[in-house]
Amino acid sequence: MNKTRVHIIKREEGWAVKKEGGQKASRVYESKKDAEEHSQSYREKGHDVIVHRRDGSVEKWEKAKV
Amino acid sequence: MVQLRNGKRLKFKILKNSFEKNIFINCPFDNDYHKLLRPLLFTIIYCGYNPRIALERFDSAELRLDKIKQLIDQSSLSIHDLSKIKATEKNEYYRLNMPFEIGLDLGCKLYNPDKKYRNKRSLILENERYGYQKALSDISSSDVKCHGGDPEDLVIEVRNWFSELGCLNLISGSTIWDDYNFFFTDFHEDRTLKGFKEKDLDKMPVPEFISYIEKWILKNNKQNHCA
Repeated sequence: MNKTRVHIIKREEGWAVKKEGGQKASRVYESKKDAEEHSQSYREKGHDVIVHRRDGSVEKWEKAKV
Repeated sequence: MVQLRNGKRLKFKILKNSFEKNIFINCPFDNDYHKLLRPLLFTIIYCGYNPRIALERFDSAELRLDKIKQLIDQSSLSIHDLSKIKATEKNEYYRLNMPFEIGLDLGCKLYNPDKKYRNKRSLILENERYGYQKALSDISSSDVKCHGGDPEDLVIEVRNWFSELGCLNLISGSTIWDDYNFFFTDFHEDRTLKGFKEKDLDKMPVPEFISYIEKWILKNNKQNHCA
């Protein structure tokens, strides 16, 4: 069974990393690059990571590594 | 019929042509505005309202003005986005459709003999505060909110307007924005699996996009937050 997807979403204060269905973002980063780098640990744990554009559309879909 | 995540099936039913729930959308239709139009449509449906927009149907034989008049007649609420009316390049025309349609909407409220139109409510959106007043000072006392061209801010401002209208049980604008991102992921995945390319998604007709939003909201049990 696929694990919950993790999203990198634009927020007023930066870029949030948030699991789908979660109440809160795990963390908000100042830059998108930082958010993407830190989200790699989720891929290693079996989560797909979806990187969004500022308008909410999908920029990148990074598949889980396991 | 929609298949819910818990396996149950739900009859697809969203109130159509309900005067109280209809929102006339007066906005630009060019590609630049899609990044704002899509989350706007999502937020309206998410909060339990029906977006009514000239792009909802295409009939070459139908006069544009007749269509707009009908949408205004059928809507108790309206959202007018004036953020793109200003010419940005030399020799570009000032855009008059949006101010013209505000005039029609206000005219309906002020002059229509039917009393139901007296309670029409409007939200005016713009890029920066007081920007539009330089060109349209006659309505300078109206309720205006600014999104600065940012989709998240647009979602939050529209959600807050619904709250001001009396929808006091709404979840936060930030949560709606996050859900829009989740929605778009499902939309992207579903359409890509069905052979759609990025260009197809960009040019998808508004009724098709609205239909997808409605089904997603029902499937994920996100509807009626304004009840």
